[in-house]
Amino acid sequence: MSAVTDLLLTRYNYLAVVVLSGIGMYMMIENHNLVKKVIGMNVFQTGIFLFFITMAYVDGAGPAILESGGGGGPYVSPLPHVLILTAIVVGVSLTAVALALIVRIYAEYGTLDEEVLREVIHE
Amino acid sequence: MSLTFLEAGLLGLVLVCGLTTALLKDVLSAIIAFAAYSLGMAMLWVVLRAPDVALTEAAIGAGVMSLLLLLTIARTVRPSHKAFTESIRLRTAGVVGAFVLVLGTTIPSLPAIGSPRASVIDYRVTEYYLANAYAQTEVKNAVTAVLAAYRGFDTLGEATVVFAAGIAVLVVLRKEGFT
Repeated sequence: MSAVTDLLLTRYNYLAVVVLSGIGMYMMIENHNLVKKVIGMNVFQTGIFLFFITMAYVDGAGPAILESGGGGGPYVSPLPHVLILTAIVVGVSLTAVALALIVRIYAEYGTLDEEVLREVIHE
Repeated sequence: MSLTFLEAGLLGLVLVCGLTTALLKDVLSAIIAFAAYSLGMAMLWVVLRAPDVALTEAAIGAGVMSLLLLLTIARTVRPSHKAFTESIRLRTAGVVGAFVLVLGTTIPSLPAIGSPRASVIDYRVTEYYLANAYAQTEVKNAVTAVLAAYRGFDTLGEATVVFAAGIAVLVVLRKEGFT
């Protein structure tokens, strides 16, 4: 098996992580609508979540629901799941604040387009 | 783990929805594509044996987030465009391409997916949680045990962030401000 095929077949999720980060970054830089920039930030975030959850995965493992007597398994690692649960909630808080600012910007300047906004502010 | 059809399909769905979100010019269409993207992600979490994350993603990522975005365009504006898709600027695409390439060079040094000898799995913190979580906390779900007991302070910090965000939203949206 060639190196590239091997990479594709054993580390496919990491490739998706990289592509999703790229999509999110492109949206944040290039899309002129502020709401779409916020969506781009969320796409970037979910890409990083995929990285963590993939790291926690083990072949043939079950979810980390433990047997009462101990033993059982293998289990996936619970720690990255916890970190991502926290990150999802923090991400929503961040989005809520960003969207509130966007609503305020629209009330003040009457536009959500980045270029128009820049012109209006410079006037 | 080798790539199954289910996972390949879900990854494809997620990538296509992500690309659609980026390329659609209309904001409402982009929000709908993003909701589909979040749903695909939630299903991917189930495949990766992370049911807690899947539930949170489906409720918050696909539910609350879409609601917030829709409320925003309801209170502001949904610009109408002649063009259906965004025009791609080569300069930005080049910068992002370079970023993706640099990140991509790290992939071969990562452990194969599902390898039991990967550093996260074969590490004493993970082993300690899995071995002792039930005996010490009497919670069967190790994720809950870590979230609420071992890393309770993290969760307190998370609650603080949500509280602060709630106050920030109220302050920003208040018309007169605090006087």
